[in-house]
Amino acid sequence: MKQEKEWVIEAEHLSYTYDGNEKPALDDLDLKIRRGHKVAFMGGNGSGKSTFFLCLNGIRRPDKGRVLIDGTPIAYTRKGLLDVRRRVGIVFQEPDDQLFSASVYQEISFGILNLGADEETARKKVEQVIRELGICPFQDRPAHGLSGGQKKLVAIADILVMEPEVMILDEPAASLDPKHTKIVREIVEKLTMKGITVLMATHDMDYAFGWADEIVLMYEGRVLKKGTPLEVCADREALEQTNLEVPAVLRLYEKMRQKGMASQKGDPPRTMEELERRFL
Amino acid sequence: MILIDKLCYQSKLRYVNATEKFVYAVLSLVFCIVSRSAAAAVLVFLANGILTVGKGKIPLSHYIKLLLVPAAFLLLGTAAMLIDLSRAPMDAFAFRIGEWYLTGSTASLTRVCRLWITALSAVTCLYFLSLNTTMTDILEVLRKMRLPTLLIELMMLIYRFIFLLLETASAIMTAQESRLGNRDYRTKVRSFGAMASALFVQSMRRSDALYDALESRCYDGTIRVLSQERPAKKKEIVGIALFESLLLLITIWSIIE
Ligand SMILES: Nc1ncnc2c1ncn2[C@@H]1O[C@H](COP(=O)(O)OP(=O)(O)OP(=O)(O)O)[C@@H](O)[C@H]1O
Ligand SMILES: [Mg+2]
Repeated sequence: MKQEKEWVIEAEHLSYTYDGNEKPALDDLDLKIRRGHKVAFMGGNGSGKSTFFLCLNGIRRPDKGRVLIDGTPIAYTRKGLLDVRRRVGIVFQEPDDQLFSASVYQEISFGILNLGADEETARKKVEQVIRELGICPFQDRPAHGLSGGQKKLVAIADILVMEPEVMILDEPAASLDPKHTKIVREIVEKLTMKGITVLMATHDMDYAFGWADEIVLMYEGRVLKKGTPLEVCADREALEQTNLEVPAVLRLYEKMRQKGMASQKGDPPRTMEELERRFL
Repeated sequence: MILIDKLCYQSKLRYVNATEKFVYAVLSLVFCIVSRSAAAAVLVFLANGILTVGKGKIPLSHYIKLLLVPAAFLLLGTAAMLIDLSRAPMDAFAFRIGEWYLTGSTASLTRVCRLWITALSAVTCLYFLSLNTTMTDILEVLRKMRLPTLLIELMMLIYRFIFLLLETASAIMTAQESRLGNRDYRTKVRSFGAMASALFVQSMRRSDALYDALESRCYDGTIRVLSQERPAKKKEIVGIALFESLLLLITIWSIIE
């Protein structure tokens, strides 16, 4: 048995500049991620979230610095890259960038077959994931006949079927309606229950505040602030710099405390439901 | 083409084993063309109509509209074969123009009719296949027939990307329209040029992103996927076999004739 390391991902002094760009997309970025944690990545457009994710499974090779997965640096060889991609799965920001086949079933089976599964196992897994994510009602429709939310679910299934150790969701809730947002969030909950480390880029502070173990604020290719949601939200300067709002629960809770409606003891509530339960 | 794609996903025969449908369509097509017999052609024409409209529940109006396209084309093409310009009138019909006759013989009339129905039946075979079978299923059959993988992968990606391209194009056009980009001919041309270049840039970006996404899922140069097999039914196989045997008989008979 290989001993499980505490840090599943370590990024050391990552720098990356896209060809033809002057400004680096990643600028001396340092970050460690604990196994099994739920980490929310927040930051404005172009702050380098997607680029960072692509570095984590070796799609982008940093100009400087290195990425360690389970304590071993990524080896940029065929075998090394396959190994990293088996452990770190990315659901892309745009499902249309990810779905290559018009058939949902074919699409989902691609990843697992690449891992060398035989046909029978692959079939079983694909069908299981289709059931788990509720893809059944539209699994026989072509990709171009699916709505944005349905495409997103298929994109998640693509990766889920490969059972990665680390699952990266690049803005999973973008362009989703409330129903699909809820479905995606339930899936994410299930993932963490299985012990999968989940990294998620999101612009929804209220959600991140309630969900995440850790929030990483990105700014111009660097980590501006990293910590528990409370720690991050206590740093109003950093929030302002990244144009993020203090989560609604926290604002409300602070107001209630000022007016003496809530006790001074205990942690602030993380979600509206918790606030209701505790104080109303 | 988009219409056919839409219809085939609604066809009630969509889930019938694709190989069966493929074999049926191709054999019928071959017999139709080889036999050149009007009987075979009519038989195939009717069978395809009954299958596509009756069983597949493709709306009759759509089916007729789709058939009118090649029918009109064939009519124009065969008209040239039928009508002669000569000094002596022939037996089928003749219109006098001064010294000359615009005329045709009964023999050529029957020949043209037979050609016309044969060609039209051949087209219905292809319509039957494409209106009742999705592109992905057809590709699966081709894969089973050991067509080069590269070709099949290309077709698969092209099929997906045609629709992405159309979506993007129509989004850009709507955006232009809402900013009065089609006010007059000049702006129209300019807008179209702008759209084409935007489309090109987007396609480049898309293909890069798609490659990244494939790589993320351990892509190693070949696209391996599982397909959903629909079991072939005995009844259907027997039906196809009987029908094709009948066509074979007609073909042999018409060759002996
Ligand atoms: N394929 C590319 N080619 C060139 N430059 C790129 C490319 N992708 C991203 N960039 C640039 O790199 C920087 C970081 O972009 P990135 O996509 O990582 O940001 P992001 O945080 O994911 O933003 P968003 O919230 O919009 O998704 C930006 O300045 C962007 O313009
Ligand atoms: Mg991004």
